[in-house]
Amino acid sequence: MFRRATHRTFLLGVLILGLAACSEPAVEQTDLTLAAAASLRQVIPAALEGFALAAGERSIDVTYGASGDLRRQVEAGAPIDLVVLASAETVDALIDNGLADPASRRVVASNRLALVGPSASPPLTFATLNRLPGDARLAVGDPRTVPAGQYARQALENLGSWNHLEDRLVFGGHVASVLAYVRRGEVDAAIVYETDAEGLADIAVWEVAKGDWAPDPQVVAAVTDSDSPDAQLLLDYLTSARGQEIFFSFGFDPPTNP
Amino acid sequence: MNPADTFPIALSLRVATIALLLVAPVGIALAWIQSKYRYPFRGLVDALILLPLVLPPSVVGYLLVVVLGRQGWVGSWLDRAFDLRLVFTPAAAVIASSIVALPLLVKTAQPVFEGIPRELEDVGRSLGLSPWALFFRISLPVAWRGVVAGLVLAFARGIGEFGATLMFAGNIPGRTNTMPLEIFAAYQLGDDRRALIYVTVLIAFSGLVVWAASRLAPRGVRT
Repeated sequence: MFRRATHRTFLLGVLILGLAACSEPAVEQTDLTLAAAASLRQVIPAALEGFALAAGERSIDVTYGASGDLRRQVEAGAPIDLVVLASAETVDALIDNGLADPASRRVVASNRLALVGPSASPPLTFATLNRLPGDARLAVGDPRTVPAGQYARQALENLGSWNHLEDRLVFGGHVASVLAYVRRGEVDAAIVYETDAEGLADIAVWEVAKGDWAPDPQVVAAVTDSDSPDAQLLLDYLTSARGQEIFFSFGFDPPTNP
Repeated sequence: MNPADTFPIALSLRVATIALLLVAPVGIALAWIQSKYRYPFRGLVDALILLPLVLPPSVVGYLLVVVLGRQGWVGSWLDRAFDLRLVFTPAAAVIASSIVALPLLVKTAQPVFEGIPRELEDVGRSLGLSPWALFFRISLPVAWRGVVAGLVLAFARGIGEFGATLMFAGNIPGRTNTMPLEIFAAYQLGDDRRALIYVTVLIAFSGLVVWAASRLAPRGVRT
């Protein structure tokens, strides 16, 4: 009796699994796939809402990641129509490889680098970072793939403290993970964008990078698949007065070197 | 190859070796206890040992961060009491490797211990051997092939640990970038040549392990 019951349960399980395997998940046809830097994960949804209001409802897929990783994905043939990345370098690399339309290249906004830490800790500045104790840790983006990490490296090199801090650095795979390290208390400080830390109660912005040594982060976009008319339309919207308003409301600045 | 190229190889070997040194006594003891004693909740202990083998590495990594992270249940205590932080250290990589390596050792060694003829141990017991002496003078000498096979497999699993290591130890060049992590990083950077170095090393290594384990395991109990 018992054996028969287990037998039945087993058959039922196989049946359910089989049905699950057969029923194909509904794949929605999307009009546009956008690859955006992780630092834009808050502003892009708002910008897409604005775009829908202005130009009509569309189904748009967005993938977020480190700009360097997204660049590799486009190079590997990922079906991406438009990139909005956190550095000119990554977009220009795509243009140089013939994977993005040079005529479509736009600087969408500029950003500022910020030194942040737990709100409970005594604040530091970029200049006093080299006083960080030996066992303390500073999180930055991995400079190999994360523009925020490249900018952080540039800033610290200009200040002459990169080499000194090197053994205290922890690299995050994208800027959002860098911020998560601070929020989880695993690091004592981090260098992210000012826009990343906005509105977070547990994170204090200690200093916004300004001065000769401060890098000038730019948000740059280009169409990667010229067959998609919506891609150019969305890009035009992002650089329009309305689109720019949305970027400003999230703390971004107008492009400084368009 | 420059030092930055050889570092992941050396680190992986060090991490897997230390993990094996931690896992060996615990795993062999568990395998022996599970094979020789019937006690309440034995089945539960069996299941717990097996769990890291079937859980996705991301689940293991998540649990490690929740428990041993700086704000974790145990991690916050370690930080306060000993000023000890594990996340982003090679020690974290060792812990991740140990946890996934343990089930392979126990599950390989346990059946071999179970296969030891009862009479052998009964003779030992009748001659007045303590459980300790019984283990070292009878069980281990008889079952050593299976135990070594388990150790070899555990070492291989430990050196290949990726997911939990990435979450718990991070991928810090020069500190926690073991070979599996370096393959992933090099691939993401499009540096296929660099990825190939470690792919080759790990394939060669795994081949060696499979060969060694196959020579040791199937004969099982031998006297």
